[in-house]
Amino acid sequence: MLREAESQMLSAYSLIMNKAKDVIKLIRSLVPSDRKIRIMNVCGSHEHTIAFSGMRSLMPENLEIIPGPGCPVCVCPESDIINAINLSNRDDVILVTYGDMLRVPTQKGSIRAEGKNFRMITSPFEALNIARSNPDKKIVFFSIGFETTTAPTAAILEMGVPENLFILSSHRLTPTIMEILVKDADIGIDGFIAPGHVSAIVGSNAWNVFSEKYGIPTVVAGFEAENLLLGISEILQQLKNGKVQTGNVYKGVVKPEGNVQAQRIMNKYFEVADVNWRGIGYIPGSGLELRGEYSARDARKAFQLEEVKEAKIPGCICGTIILGKAYPSACKLFKKVCTPKTPKGPCMVSMEGACNIWHKTG
Amino acid sequence: MKKIEIGHGSGGRLTRDLIEKVFLKHLNSAELKPLEDAAYINFKTQHTAMTTDSYVVRPLFFPGGNIGKLAVCGTVNDLIVSGAVPRYLSIGFILEEGFPLKYLEDIIKSIGEAAESAGIKVVTGDTKVVEKNKCDGVYINTTGIGELVKPLPLKNVSAGDVVIVTGTIGDHGTAIALARNEFDIKAPVVSDCASLNALLMPVLKKDGLKWMRDPTRGGVATVLVELSNSTGFGVEISEDKVPVREDVRFISDMLGYDPLYLANEGKAIIIASGESANKIIAILKKHPLGKDAAVIGNITSRFKGVRLKTKIGGERLLDMLEEDMLPRIC
Repeated sequence: MLREAESQMLSAYSLIMNKAKDVIKLIRSLVPSDRKIRIMNVCGSHEHTIAFSGMRSLMPENLEIIPGPGCPVCVCPESDIINAINLSNRDDVILVTYGDMLRVPTQKGSIRAEGKNFRMITSPFEALNIARSNPDKKIVFFSIGFETTTAPTAAILEMGVPENLFILSSHRLTPTIMEILVKDADIGIDGFIAPGHVSAIVGSNAWNVFSEKYGIPTVVAGFEAENLLLGISEILQQLKNGKVQTGNVYKGVVKPEGNVQAQRIMNKYFEVADVNWRGIGYIPGSGLELRGEYSARDARKAFQLEEVKEAKIPGCICGTIILGKAYPSACKLFKKVCTPKTPKGPCMVSMEGACNIWHKTG
Repeated sequence: MKKIEIGHGSGGRLTRDLIEKVFLKHLNSAELKPLEDAAYINFKTQHTAMTTDSYVVRPLFFPGGNIGKLAVCGTVNDLIVSGAVPRYLSIGFILEEGFPLKYLEDIIKSIGEAAESAGIKVVTGDTKVVEKNKCDGVYINTTGIGELVKPLPLKNVSAGDVVIVTGTIGDHGTAIALARNEFDIKAPVVSDCASLNALLMPVLKKDGLKWMRDPTRGGVATVLVELSNSTGFGVEISEDKVPVREDVRFISDMLGYDPLYLANEGKAIIIASGESANKIIAILKKHPLGKDAAVIGNITSRFKGVRLKTKIGGERLLDMLEEDMLPRIC
């Protein structure tokens, strides 16, 4: 029995192996010899797979796979983190947020080092539970992330949250920042690998703007190395035959229209705002804040939070790395004074940050 | 429920009570029973091996074991991978005031069972109690002495040798991560906490065995990086050959862990000559703890460091981890 199961697994496995090998061969044949092709991924989990699978070591010389703004922790404004630290130092507040946020350095230190009342959560539903079981405290949920984490935050609002729960929204919009990157000639993007999880929410149609307006192939991919390779090969096919459109090699999960229900509640509770990206600056229409009618739940308003001026981190080039203008290895601090244990910049903190990933994979 | 009091560590009546009613109930070697200041022990071999380790695991009880079992298995494994048959064990406890006596007894019972099944005798011990909140329930130190069968120095290792792992990796680290209940994940992952002497004794007698190590904190990757640093040889590992439970792989992906860096408490890495590899694998597979044993790579003089050949045929470097993925894992 066991032997049979084992051999079945082995044959399934060799099929995947062959497929990966075949796709790599295809990729090699599609990359032109006379110019560089630059494909950007905009998702920390994609960069994770690319780095951990050693994918770059298999790519032809003229193909660059660039990590872009795929890490929401990395772009979260310093001002919001400092406000979160200050809130957690109030005796009447418990600050709750995702684990990585606790360690992001600021001019005032990190939440973990300088905060007092804070808890790590893995889902907004935990924030809801903490609020319900601590009715005498004000629970501030420092809610960050791209569309993937906005949807569950909207979901708890839709479920109905108690009066003592407040949202500090630092949500960011993926398509908006990608459009900024496209317009930046310094980066020179030939194709996008669109993020699988974000696409599950916004739908593959959300990327049509890139093929239609800018002629840039954009292909939604999942998180297995084989699937990413397939996505890369499709971008190269489109570039070669000149028929540019939104592609999707993650069809089991991502629909053209996305998750309509999630979009509806996100739209109900959040509105588009001009927001700051750490190390990059203000980008019009690139973030989400709670709508005016829900301002009673908005921590910015309830606690009258003020913006703190961002301090430059000496030597840190996180902003440039996020924009795809430099690799982590180009930073003077990388692996020397900036390590996952002693992060100087935000990209070294999160496991979705390019510097953190590159540090782990040599 | 009865609890540990400061007096239990005083050396007076309460200490005596604790020793007689709890400790001796489960630990009863002839060497321990006289309760003298030192135990008298004998050896059959001229050379012995000695090792010590402290245990601060959190939580104290986890699927597949507890701090007591861990404290025995960890030290037994350090001896057997050094080529010594584990014989005698000392145990030191640091207890927190207010710690429930019942839990302590559960821990001592596990120690007794683990020692018996590993064939090691607990011959001496010590108990101290610190005030409430000055430690986290129980800390344990064990020192083990074994009879040296075959020294396995690093200089044995040479290019062309193979790297064997005795089973699935990352089980203990994953079990501990889940037992902390910090993540809303339920999965039937059990720590691999086990004494390896029964598995490894037959291997110890084999020609071609070069070196062994139990990949605890820091996991398989850290052991191999240290091996490379100390010998100057390179290590090549194939990702598709490394045995990892499906659920461990899935949870690691979710939590951002790499199974290669997760702790194991019942696995060994064996470096052996290429010719002996098949025989050693066959011996390992005869024992339940070795059923997933596999050759995962080889030692080379072509480069230094540790390189992982990924499933898609790519390559990446394995280095020491900067950050502790899971503090207090053992």
